Amino acid sequence: MNREMKRKRTAGIALLCAVLLSAGIYGCRSSRTTVLEVGIFAGSNWDVANANSYVIIDKAVEKFESMHKNVKVHYYSGIRKEDYSEWFSRQLLRGQEPDVFMVLGEDFNQFAEIGAMKDLESLMASDPDFDSTCYYSTALQAGQYEGRQYALPYETVPTLMFVNKSLLNREGLSVPDNDWTWDDLYRICSYVTKDKDGDGLLDQFGTYNYGWTEAVYSNDAKLFDESGTESYFNDERVTEAVRFTKQIMDLNGMQKVSKDDFDSGNVAFMPLPFTEYRTYKTYPYKIKKYTKFQWDCITLPAGTEGGNTSVINTLLMGISNHTKKEQLAWEFLKLLTYDEEIQMDLFRYSQGVSVLREVTTSRETEEILQEDMEKNEKFIDNALVSDVIENGVVTPKFPKYADAITMADNEINRMIEDDDNVENSLRILQRQISKYLRR
Amino acid sequence: MLKIKLRDVRAVMMAVNFIAVLFVSVFIAVTTEWICSRYEARDFLDTLHAIPVQPRMNVIVVAVLYLLLVVVFTAQEKVYKNRPGRIYLCLVLEFVISAVIVVVMNFNYNGIFFLVFTGVIYYTKGERGKYLVICLALISFLLTDAELLSINYDLYSINDYFNYYDASVQQYLVGGYHLLISLNIILFIIYCILMIQQQRGTIDEVNMLYEEIRKTNEDLEKANSQLQEYAKITERMGKTKERNRLAREIHDTLGHTLTGISVGIDACIATVEAAPKETKTHLERISEVARNGLLDIRRSVNELKPDSLERLSLESAITKMITDMKSITDMQIFFDCQIRQLKFDEDEESAIYRVIQESLTNAMRHGKASRVRIIMERQEDMVVVTITDNGIGCSHITNGFGTKHIMERIGMLNGTVEFKSENGFSVIARIPIRWGEEYD
Repeated sequence: MNREMKRKRTAGIALLCAVLLSAGIYGCRSSRTTVLEVGIFAGSNWDVANANSYVIIDKAVEKFESMHKNVKVHYYSGIRKEDYSEWFSRQLLRGQEPDVFMVLGEDFNQFAEIGAMKDLESLMASDPDFDSTCYYSTALQAGQYEGRQYALPYETVPTLMFVNKSLLNREGLSVPDNDWTWDDLYRICSYVTKDKDGDGLLDQFGTYNYGWTEAVYSNDAKLFDESGTESYFNDERVTEAVRFTKQIMDLNGMQKVSKDDFDSGNVAFMPLPFTEYRTYKTYPYKIKKYTKFQWDCITLPAGTEGGNTSVINTLLMGISNHTKKEQLAWEFLKLLTYDEEIQMDLFRYSQGVSVLREVTTSRETEEILQEDMEKNEKFIDNALVSDVIENGVVTPKFPKYADAITMADNEINRMIEDDDNVENSLRILQRQISKYLRR
Repeated sequence: MLKIKLRDVRAVMMAVNFIAVLFVSVFIAVTTEWICSRYEARDFLDTLHAIPVQPRMNVIVVAVLYLLLVVVFTAQEKVYKNRPGRIYLCLVLEFVISAVIVVVMNFNYNGIFFLVFTGVIYYTKGERGKYLVICLALISFLLTDAELLSINYDLYSINDYFNYYDASVQQYLVGGYHLLISLNIILFIIYCILMIQQQRGTIDEVNMLYEEIRKTNEDLEKANSQLQEYAKITERMGKTKERNRLAREIHDTLGHTLTGISVGIDACIATVEAAPKETKTHLERISEVARNGLLDIRRSVNELKPDSLERLSLESAITKMITDMKSITDMQIFFDCQIRQLKFDEDEESAIYRVIQESLTNAMRHGKASRVRIIMERQEDMVVVTITDNGIGCSHITNGFGTKHIMERIGMLNGTVEFKSENGFSVIARIPIRWGEEYD
């Protein structure tokens, strides 16, 4: 009896202690500020000079902290883009990855594959304030892996065609319209490719860096299926694109066009990311590059089957699969990628394009873009940029993509150089790639 | 002795599993740091299929869970030895803890289930339940196979971490890992073998018990046949008893009638000359008594049952007997029945009837009595029949046929008979009322 009572009392005291302890821990936790870790890198994702690396994130942090009391956002500053991947991988291996983080294009597939990023579908669906159609569909598609959204686009960059206006003027040609075609490109290239000083070597060229992939994208051709189990290299449109690329290359004979040729103003066209255009067309970097000639940007030429489309690159942001602050992380991710004010800042402090259609096509954007231009020049129309993004091509997302496209690139460049039969070679390549994909 | 051995095997298994579990989790944590310190994290990620959640934390979690498992094992073995409910609870707990450990380690080591199996095999009782639990355990082991699971789920494999090292180091690591797995399985097999041996011991015991039962059975059969013999003897005895009863019956009816006739004829001899007419009517009565007696005997021979009783109730049968008696003697007979309803079984009726009949005969023949009083009454749970006469009585009661028969008859009904010889002769018969039957 006595013992029974004693035992009951001990149990009671133990229970009380446990309750108090857990209450204490809970109390401490709730009063303590929550820290949301963010993983970002310094500098531009597009390898252009950028003095304002942390301006946007700092503004976003300030805004976020004022909205959420007891929440602090923390990021490690000073991680360079080239170190970011390794830094992030280390955090990932140790299980200490940040709650919200930037994902480099080359990392996205592997990170999605190993489950580093949270599947955002349910968060997107359950948030009434969120409408994914506000994003450019192509930008959104960049964050999808095997049909599910693992990351949201933060900043996107379309590919444009650099035009050397001085060269065309010299040759008595005008800058092509934005609905130009392969035929126009070939006509201009064959006209401008010549030996000016008569030393027997060509010294003025049509294109630099215009490769078979650009041609494929503008001919509405598809190289792989979504899941990465099939390839379509022997498709008629691919064959046509490769054949066209070969024609363009053949204009240069045995000579190779170099960066030097381009920089000294002897090349008419070069595919170029929007960020390059934005950086070196406006102050203060205008004086650093492409100073010897007048230049501008237009869309890429349309193939016989396709439109004036080009590949777009998107910087993505995701949420850690292991985060304990899912809702906060989602709110912050949404602030960076979905908030119009923050997205507008991309045009002010960065060189890419906002992923929100509304923001990119707005009057304000047009004004911001025009601000740093010389008085007599006009910045490329933002409605056109918007169109290019809207109709852009997103590289497929599957684990073997990087290897497969490298294989194909090597092989196609070789067949163009070696003057092989394009159709036969592509058929062989198709078999090789498909075999690799199924392995 | 065998039991201690089983426990020892289990203890060794526990140690091996602890080493294995720690090996896996510590190895992954250490390798992670090693990779990070060499700036090879991004390249290493390309070889992974999934990422571990906090490898360093995992070591602590796994160690704590394992300690918990050991506590439950100990409790099961020491504290709850004789409480089946608690033991099953412990088994469930062990299973759950092991499953959590396996999940935390991302299925890189599931040999810990073997440790749980040992408990399952040892403690579960009952054929069907045992096989069900073993099936469940085996299925859980098979389903948690990392290679099998990795088909549908992204799992990080310890093999990816092994592959990070040079081939020369790798072979020792892989060798060590597989050695632990194999050692665990070997220990489990040893445990099973010991268990089977122990069960064989139990089977021998069962056989011994069976042999004993067989012997007991034989003894029983012997006893049974003896019993049958005894039954035959009893049957024979029954026949003897029946014969005795017959003799009694003949004596009762024949003796009674003949006594009446002889007394009547004696009277006739005395009166035949003085009053021939009366003598003639007397003789006629005697003749009737003789005929009745004859009928009585016939009945007895045929059915061994008194005719009077068959036709009449006990009371009227007695009354008739008294009337008959009165008509052939000068004896005055008073019958006083104080029991209102007479509900007796046949054997009781017959006994009471015969006791009265015999007593009256005795009173007339030996006691030369002129007055007889018969009282039937109830005293508590007894029926008491008292027959008192005013005859000469007798100084000591000789065990003549009559009294002996009275005693036998009443004795058969578990009653008692008392004979008194004061102022005549009285017979007091006490017959117990049978329980559950209404006399009232």
